[in-house]
Amino acid sequence: MDSDTQQRQRLLYLHARTPSVFSTILGYTLIEPVRGYQTEISASEFEWPYKTVHDAIVDGWQVVQFPHLQAPFDDKDLDVVGYEFILQKIQSYPSAT
Amino acid sequence: MVNIITSTPIADNGAATQMIDKHYLLSDVEVAKFITYGYHMVELDLPASFHEQIAQQLDGLQSNPGDAITETIPELWQILEHPAVVGALTSLLGHNYRVNSHRHWHCKEPDSPYMHWHQDSTNNRSTQIDRFLGLYYPRTITPDMGPTIIVPGTQFRNAPTDRMATYTNIRGQLPLNVKAGTVAFTHYDLWHGTGANRSSVRRHMIKFLFNRTQPNSAPTWNHDPDALNKVRDWNLRDKAEDVNNILTFVNPIGVSQSDHYKETAIRRRCWAELRGES
Repeated sequence: MDSDTQQRQRLLYLHARTPSVFSTILGYTLIEPVRGYQTEISASEFEWPYKTVHDAIVDGWQVVQFPHLQAPFDDKDLDVVGYEFILQKIQSYPSAT
Repeated sequence: MVNIITSTPIADNGAATQMIDKHYLLSDVEVAKFITYGYHMVELDLPASFHEQIAQQLDGLQSNPGDAITETIPELWQILEHPAVVGALTSLLGHNYRVNSHRHWHCKEPDSPYMHWHQDSTNNRSTQIDRFLGLYYPRTITPDMGPTIIVPGTQFRNAPTDRMATYTNIRGQLPLNVKAGTVAFTHYDLWHGTGANRSSVRRHMIKFLFNRTQPNSAPTWNHDPDALNKVRDWNLRDKAEDVNNILTFVNPIGVSQSDHYKETAIRRRCWAELRGES
């Protein structure tokens, strides 16, 4: 690797229907490791890159955090949507970006 | 035959008794859909020139008058007094609902970024429909103008806004790319945000807040007592257009079975409260 490039961590937050990696993704956030990058809610039809967490794993993403399941169980109240998986991909980026 | 009923919206500029056409009250299915999805849209049959005139007045504002927006643009009262608006409010908040003194001009300027998901106020959600918002759009909204974006079905979630920070696109999210003259009634606790405004125009929305003043003792919409008696249709499921199947099967985001059972129970409590059963 030359000095003009860096190894950087791409992040992917996937909110799955259940704690299973095979369940449908309900939420999607991609964080690109470049300066000034911003996420944005789509005001048009959003095209989902993956259907499940497993699809993302097959595409080379690695899970770095599985959903926390230690939260108090409540059989009446509803809180956040889905179960959060955090994934990463390490890739080379030009240092200037 | 036109059925006239009396409804008494209490406005902050004084009480005004309105005779409303029963035709404008919501149906059982529309009420069930509001409970389930958390929104109801009305396109007002006022002239296009009326809405454009309001938009042009907003274009010319140099500062935000806050709650005084209705004094700055008195024509906005015609929106609040439109029978379709009165009918929807009466149906969902009961007779004697209150037009809250808080209202706000949400102007999304060109080149302004998106707004992240949030629920208004603190996390103290309820099954009762005691308040909700009316979002009025005087101009047609296109995706590049930074539309309001809602997530139907999230209105019963106790989710601190901080916990939404890692969500961006959510299944079922709905950009309100609506026609000029649309009022979107949205449950107060519905998750919402906006797109970015990449257009060259200001995107206008006037937000109104409405409150219930008394619990229902009976349904205040066009109600059929047999509405909940239709048997569950395990073939059509969420495609069946009747109250029982809407409350039972519709799953706007596609949440897990556990969450869906919980939200189904909450919907039925909400329906019972609106029917005056509790």
